[in-house]
Parts: sequence; structure tokens; C-alpha cells
Amino acid sequence: MSATELHIPHTPAATRQGLAARIWKSRIDYLFLVPGLLIFGAFIVWPLIASEYYSLLNWTGFGAAKKFVGLQNYRELLQDEFFLNAFKRSFLFTLATVPLQMFISLVFAILLNNKLLKLSTLFRTMIFLPVVTPVVVIAIVIALMLSPFNGPINGLLLDAGLFERAVDFLGSPQLVLWTLAGVFVWKWTGVTLIYWLAALQTVPEELYEAAKLDGVKTWQVTVFVVLPIIAPFAVVIGLISAIAALNVFPLIQSTTQGGPFFASEVMEVFIFRIAFAPSGGMVPQLGYASAAGVLFGLAVMILTIFQIVAVRRARRKDPANG
Amino acid sequence: MSTRQIDGLSRRAFLASSSAFALAALAGRSLAQEVKNIDPSIAEKITIADPSLDLPPADGPFRWLDSGGQKGVFYRQFFPKYAETRGIEVVYDGLPWNEIATVLPLGIRNGSAPDAFNLPNGMPPAVAVAEGWVQPLDDLIPDLDAWKAGFPAGSFVEGVNVIEGKTYGLPYTSERRCSSLLLFSRKAMELTEFDPGPGAPLTWDQFRTAAAQITKNSGGSMFGLIMGGNQGNRWSANLVQLANRGGAACASSVAGCLSCVDYRTGEIVVDKDEFVEAMELLLAIRDDGSMFPGIMSLNAPQARAFVEQGGAGMILQGPWNVPIWEANNPDFDFGLAPTPAPEGKDGKTIVDALPSAANTMYVNAAAKNPAYAADVFHYMGTLDGQVAWGNVVGPSDPPIFPKAAEEAEMSERSKAVIALQEKQVRVSPVVYARSPGFTKVAQLYEEPTPNLANVVQGLYTGQLSGVKESLSKLKDAMNAALDKAITDANAEGANVRREDLVYSDWDPSVDYAS
Repeated sequence: MSATELHIPHTPAATRQGLAARIWKSRIDYLFLVPGLLIFGAFIVWPLIASEYYSLLNWTGFGAAKKFVGLQNYRELLQDEFFLNAFKRSFLFTLATVPLQMFISLVFAILLNNKLLKLSTLFRTMIFLPVVTPVVVIAIVIALMLSPFNGPINGLLLDAGLFERAVDFLGSPQLVLWTLAGVFVWKWTGVTLIYWLAALQTVPEELYEAAKLDGVKTWQVTVFVVLPIIAPFAVVIGLISAIAALNVFPLIQSTTQGGPFFASEVMEVFIFRIAFAPSGGMVPQLGYASAAGVLFGLAVMILTIFQIVAVRRARRKDPANG
Repeated sequence: MSTRQIDGLSRRAFLASSSAFALAALAGRSLAQEVKNIDPSIAEKITIADPSLDLPPADGPFRWLDSGGQKGVFYRQFFPKYAETRGIEVVYDGLPWNEIATVLPLGIRNGSAPDAFNLPNGMPPAVAVAEGWVQPLDDLIPDLDAWKAGFPAGSFVEGVNVIEGKTYGLPYTSERRCSSLLLFSRKAMELTEFDPGPGAPLTWDQFRTAAAQITKNSGGSMFGLIMGGNQGNRWSANLVQLANRGGAACASSVAGCLSCVDYRTGEIVVDKDEFVEAMELLLAIRDDGSMFPGIMSLNAPQARAFVEQGGAGMILQGPWNVPIWEANNPDFDFGLAPTPAPEGKDGKTIVDALPSAANTMYVNAAAKNPAYAADVFHYMGTLDGQVAWGNVVGPSDPPIFPKAAEEAEMSERSKAVIALQEKQVRVSPVVYARSPGFTKVAQLYEEPTPNLANVVQGLYTGQLSGVKESLSKLKDAMNAALDKAITDANAEGANVRREDLVYSDWDPSVDYAS
């Protein structure tokens, strides 16, 4: 193919050509898409379709015997208290972590965005360090830190006289989910911080300078100038953070495995337990687990749609968008 | 105020490296514990016998997959020597059970499964045969009957590793293990008025008192008892084996449908007095303040480490602790005793079959190198292979040949554990042998949630209340699940009844030999 064929001018004559002809003319371009499409198809599209198909089966996942049961798995799930509780916990976890994570990271971002702050690189590094640390390592370290036997956090709480007895953060059914939420926020605040810092780059430098000339205080600049400008980003950051908070399998599996007695079992841990029966003693139920996955996926999709609508509304209100 | 640009990927790369190094250094001590017991000198003690059959040229590497752990410790030393002797390449993979459950079925489907493997947890061998995953050893191992005759009675059982008269599984390790031995720090036990040992078990009252005395007399630096509380199997094993000592005759190690069945009556017995009292014992130790704090976030290896480090005095765990402690900390002075028993009782620990189901190996029906799999299987079923295994693994997964356990080079404690288990552990009837249709029941059984491990954990944390009520509710759920599985299995031609679970001639104090 010659260079001229690759760079066809966008003329009315060209647009009148059939789709097949246009694709053929740009075949080299499309060829470059093939690897990506194959990977996307194999690892995203196919698993999605397969899990929907499996959800209609009574199937262990390893046997050839697959019995079509229609919507029976879905009907059973809606009456399965462990599924409903895991579902609820997933969203509670998200509700607890996302606002907290967004608020803390926003405060850090505003502070770190100030050139007058000394050692900001060091602080940014410290905040980002947990992000790049493997979850399994964090699980080990957190278990040691929070240990009611000789953990330093309990040591501090006891020395400060805040508690009379050590607190079993990861072993108490009442505390475990919130403790893990705290660990999650600590681990991922660095990522949200980067998003906020990126948002802060969109605030025009002239506004800071004008505010400075007018003698406006720093907090007033932040509240009345900066926050309104970066507010639309909150929806996108919230969406990304919410989806991340619904995907907490590695953290929970490597710390509590959903325990004690299911107190920290969120949806992904529930699905894993049913699909693979990792502790033995029960036969895996891949069909049932797939149905749970489909329902959970639908819920996340609905959440996403709400947030997309919110993003559009926010854009409409954004003066920068006219 | 002015803006600051965000730095690029180089910082991330730096952060990734530095944090990984920093935290790996922190975690390194605990992660390294499990591998320190590899002794390279052991490999020198492994002798590879001449081939047991005519070996054809290998078709690519000979591949072996199992669940690792102690098996990995042995095979990582065995296979290099084997490969060198036979002039082939060997690939050994030791994977966690959850990975075997995903990797193996995929491998079978796409033709990339290893030549020899463990079946996924909970998969009945009959299903693997029916699905065409595995091939019988009958045509692979020459003079199979003579080879099988070298194994102790009860090693080859219909429904367990023999299906419809053909031999499929290699049963090379014994399930005659007590996974809730009382293991204790001698320094801690000196704080009590007791001196337990292999021939001197504690009573339940003494056990509770010892836990309280360790906690009190150590001045708060040590707790009496510890468990790996976030591992469900530790709760169920400890409860069942405490109940066994009180006289409950049922196994804790069986998977799924036959869990906690007393074959004298064919009934599920999880709410009998022995179970209720065992649970109340654990709760009493908790309420005394003698249980190590934070056990719900500890797994079994972490709990074991706290005993070695002096944080806890006693633990109920299996024989695998012995070689690990001896290798990791030769100066750690510890003792062992049978699971505590109620006053005046001396019940046996029950296991569901002599061969360890978790270690049984099978040959892939589509193996590229079945002859080499058969060659290794044959070796592991000889005294030489069994002694080599015993030399490396010790009492953790005892060789199935009692003579090999005697001849293997082990510490005094390891020998004591094996002797204790020979005396303490008994094999129950194997239902699959008399009623092969129960393999279909096992396949269709849907274990109720919560299961026994969950219920014990829930009672301990206070999320469930009423020991008797909770265990009765569990028993009802288990009965309902079993009855449903039997009905479903019969609909597929299994031809089984609940009455098939009754072995009125079974005496739990001896191995069931029929």
C-alpha cells in the first residue's frame, strides 16, 4: 500500500464510499487494532458472556455435567442471606471509604499543591508508598501493626489510656469491616491524590495571582476559587474510587478471608468462596457463583450509569463549559 | 499560591522498588519460616532405583503437579536427581489448592495438564474417572498386584483410589495423623502444675487450668492457648478431635457429605454432648482470658510462630509443627501430648481412610509421559521410596509403610509423634467401598452454609449464641443437605440409602478392616 492510500483526504466522495471499501482502504490501520481487540475479546468480552451463560447452569466448574437450570440460581441468590449480606457489605464498604478517601486526598492535594510547602516531595512519596506496595505485604504488616498482643497501634492506644484492653481490630465482628475500610483508604489515598493534583492543574494561574493581589486569604482562595473549579472532577474521581472500593478481594482475602464468621465477606470474597471452595469440604458451584457475579456486575453498572448522568449534569453546570 | 507539576513514571518506578524492598525486609522474617527446613544434604540420601519398566524416550518434559508444602520440600530434591538418572527433563509445580482447582480443569480441557497430578480438593476420584481425566495404573505398573501387596492393609480402597476394580491413585502417605495434638513450650508448661507428654495427656480440666496458669504466672507476657482462628479448618478439626477424645466417633477430615457421621448409627452427631462440651471448653478458655488475643486474624502458621516466640504456651495443631520448629529454632524446647480428653475418657481420633486423599497422585489420561509417572509411582510405593520420603518429610505426612516410618531418619520427637498417632488414630469404615453410589452423592452434595467450621467460629466470636441450639441447627441443615444429595444421586442411578451409612459392627477403638 502506498502512502497516498493510507492518507486519503476526507472528501465528500470518500464518505460516499461503502463502509467495507473504507475499511479495506484503511486495512493497515485496522490491522493494528487486531491485537488489542483480541485481548479485549478474550479477557473482557468472552468472560462476560461466559459468566452470563454459566449463571444459567448447575455446574461445579470442573465436571463435564452441566445442567441448564434457567433462572434458578438467581432465584436462590435473592433468598440467600449470605449473598444479600455480602452485597450489603460491599456497598457499605464503598460508602464508607469513597467519601473519606476523596476528602483526605483532596486536603493532601491542596496542601501539596502549594509551592511554599517544604518537603512536599517527601510527603507525596510517603502518601504514595502504600499504593505501590503489594496487598499481601500490606496484609502481613497490618496484621502485625494491629495485633492486640503486641501491635504498636494497640500499644499507643493503651499507653494513651484510651482503652483498658487491647482492641482486636481484625478479629472483632463489629470492627473488622471498618478497620479494613481504614486500611483501604490508607492504601489508595495516593491514587486519588494524583487525580486531585491533576484536577488542580486546571485552575488558571492568573486566578491565584489575582486573588493574591486582592489580598484574599489562602483558605478563601481554596474555598471560593479552587473548589468550585475542581468540583466537576469529583464525580469522575468518585466513580473511579467507588469501582476500586468494590474490588477489594486481594485485601480482604489476604487479611481476614471474609471472617470472622462472614463479618467481612464482601461480594468478591463470597463469589470466590462459592466458585472455588478454596477451603475444601464443599463442591464448587461455578454456576451459582457466576449468577452472583452477574447480579453484582449489574449493580455496579447501575451505579456507573448514575454517575455518568451526574458527570453530564456537572459539566452542564460548569461555567468553563459554557 | 502557585501550582506544582506532577512528576512522571520515574518516581513511581522508584517508589515501587523502594517500598517493595522496605516492606519485604519487614515481612521477610515471617515469610522465610516455611522454607528454612529444606536441607540440601537430604538429597544425597535419596537413591533412585533402576526403572521399574521399560521407559520410552520422553515426549517433552515430564510434568508433575501437586499442592506443594511438604510435598514440594521432597520433590524439589527428588526430581533433579531423578531427571539426571533417567536423562529427562522434569517440571515440578507445587500450587495452592485454589489454583489447582482452576488450573487443572483448564489444563485437562486444553490438553496441557501435567502427566501426574493431585485432584482438586473436593473432587471425588470417581468423578475424575467418569470425566476421563485419569487413567488406571493397571496397564502402567508391571506386576501391579505384587506392588500393591507391599502396602499396608487399607491402602487401596474401592471408591477412594480404586474405581470399579481398577487402581487409579497412588496412596503414598498415611492419613493416620492427629491434626489437634497438644503442642507446648516447656518453658510455659513449667509455669503450671502439669507435665503432659505422649503417654500422659491432659484432661480437659487440666488443659483449661494449665492455660489459665500460663497466662497468670507469666505476668501477662504469655497466653495459655493459641489457635489459627482465621482458618476455618482449624476450628472444625479442633472441635471434632476434642469431641473424639470424649467419645464421639466421627472424622473431621472428610470432605462434604460424610462429615461428622458416626457410622455405628449412620447419624450426624455434631450436636451430641461430646461436641457441645468441647465447644464449651473452648468458650471457657476464652472467658478465662487464657486465649491469645487476636486469634481471629491469625492463620495457623502465624499462631505456630507465636508459640515458638514465647507469646503463647500451648497450641492444638498437627505433627507438621514438629519438623518446622526443630528446623527453624533448634533451641526451642517444646513437648507434645495427645489431644486433651475429658476426665476418665480416652476416645480415639477418627480418620476416614488410611491413605491421605490430599496427597494421592493420579496419572493424566492424556499424559505424554505416562511411563515416567508410573516409574515414579512405583518408586514411591517401595520401601526405598517410602524411607526417602520419610527422611525428608518426617511426621508431617507420614509414609504409608509403617516400616518406612520406623527406618526413616527422624528426630526423637518425630518418632514419638508417629508412635502416638499409631496408638491414637483409627480408620473408620469407607462408605464408598461398600456403597460406590455414594461417590455420586459426594458429587451432588451442597454443603450448607454456615458449615461446622463457620459455626464454631461464630460461637467463639459471639456472633452466634447457644451452643446446643447452633449445633442442632447445623445438624438439621447437614441432614437436609445429605438427604437431598441422596435423592438427587438416586435420580441419576446411584442406588443408595441413608441406611448404607450404618456399620453396626464398627468398633471405633480399632481400624475398620472389612
